[in-house]
Amino acid sequence: MTSVSAALKRSNSWVWSRKLRVLVLVIVLALTAPWPATGQALSPCCVILAAGLSSIANSLKTIASSLNAILGVDQEMLRFEQTVVWPTSAITQAQALVGSQQGIFTRIQALLHIPVNSATQPNPQQLEVTLLSRNTNLIPQTSANYAALYGPIPTATDASPQVRDLVDMTDAAAQDAMKRAIQIDALSDLEIQAASEINQSIQTAAPGSAPIIEAQADAWLVRANAYTQAATADLMRLRAIDLANSSADIKMGATNTSNLRQQLMNLLQHN
Amino acid sequence: MHYLLYAVLFSAFASIVLIVNGHRRLLALTLVSVMVLTLVVIPPQAKAQAQGGIIQAIQAVLKVLNSLILPVVNSIHGTRSANSAFYQTTVWPVPSINQSTSLVLQMIGQYHNLMSGILNVNLRSATLPVPQSMETLIRDHQVNNFGGLTQSFNSTYRTIPAPTDANQADRDMSDFDDALTLDSLKTLKAADGATDLELQAADSIESAAGQAVPGSTPFLTATATSSSIRSQALTQKMLAAELRQEAARIAHQNGLRKRGAMFTTQLRGTIMNLSQHN
Repeated sequence: MTSVSAALKRSNSWVWSRKLRVLVLVIVLALTAPWPATGQALSPCCVILAAGLSSIANSLKTIASSLNAILGVDQEMLRFEQTVVWPTSAITQAQALVGSQQGIFTRIQALLHIPVNSATQPNPQQLEVTLLSRNTNLIPQTSANYAALYGPIPTATDASPQVRDLVDMTDAAAQDAMKRAIQIDALSDLEIQAASEINQSIQTAAPGSAPIIEAQADAWLVRANAYTQAATADLMRLRAIDLANSSADIKMGATNTSNLRQQLMNLLQHN
Repeated sequence: MHYLLYAVLFSAFASIVLIVNGHRRLLALTLVSVMVLTLVVIPPQAKAQAQGGIIQAIQAVLKVLNSLILPVVNSIHGTRSANSAFYQTTVWPVPSINQSTSLVLQMIGQYHNLMSGILNVNLRSATLPVPQSMETLIRDHQVNNFGGLTQSFNSTYRTIPAPTDANQADRDMSDFDDALTLDSLKTLKAADGATDLELQAADSIESAAGQAVPGSTPFLTATATSSSIRSQALTQKMLAAELRQEAARIAHQNGLRKRGAMFTTQLRGTIMNLSQHN
């Protein structure tokens, strides 16, 4: 203990004797020593960094606000589409309606396949079976069945060329129409089948794909209209031939009357 | 690294201060030491460079945020808002949708019963019992009484002549005329039934349109179009029946013409034979 106090006394006297030099050292140390902790907080670099980060944060807040607004618009749009434009319940209800239409399709198909054959005699029965067959492979045998029922064209000794032409043209128009009827029956069967398939595919369609099926159905409708027009055209041809026949009867009647008058005059002159 | 260098230099400076003689030397040594130690502790050029780099980086980020990202985000917001407003006010405005469905319901109310009433007006006109029975059968829309129709037809129009009363050609033509008439009448009974179903389908589609939304409408239009195809097919079935019927009618007239020619030839032969005998 005494040695420590003695050493302190010796140090004090040593420092006191060099007090100017020690003071210089303390001042130099105070001026030049690096002070880590407090010095960094106050450095201009950190102040700039803080200000910059603050600006970035403000900009990000503005962007976030805009993004929130976008989210709000999107959510509103989603709600609108889900409740007003494409509500699932309404779509399901529409699909159910399409399903109920399928039942009507089936019933109509059954109605149209009920046999309506009515002929009782062999020749008429044969022609009727061909005409109601809906089978286009049987079209070639229509002419033979027709001839068996209505007879052939009169021979050249039995009728004048004009009458034979008229008879042949009328037979042709009648047979064409009968063949067209077979064709139209077959086509309408296929149309009903296609319409049923289209209806079935609507049942499993989505709101976005239903218009595609609708476009296909529209194309089929255009086609169906064309077939109807083809049948109507043949019907008009039949009626035109019928009208022409009526006119031909008047023309031939006039010719025959004229010929008869001439022959009677000849006969009277001979007498 | 700076701290270690500083400690070494300061120790050297302290030892020199303690041994140097004279105030002038001490002052000179002090000034030199302060300069050296200050240079060692603070590298001013590096610090300035670092500060300049941070400022530039922050300015670049701010420039990207404010001049590139923010305008784009604002533009997206503007576009989406306009898009939403466009859909809600121009494409699918709720008042217009409600107005359309109301129109459908109003038209159902206005026309449905009126048109059903017109279609169901009784058209029957026969006055005698047998034709009355036939008229009832041909207009009843049923397909389960074809036998009754044939019987009623035969009662009204009679059966084909017996073989003793007419030649086979006449019997055949008469039979075929009757057959095609009956075929058409039966087809029309089936078509009438199908027409009833078509009307039922149209009613249900119209009723669904009264509760439809824009998104469910394509289903209804598609099923309506497929029903139109079916309707065309039905029309074609009736046209085919009419074609057969009309064809048989002119074929019949033509058959009579052929037989007229044949009879004329026979008559001419008979007259010639008679005149030769006389």
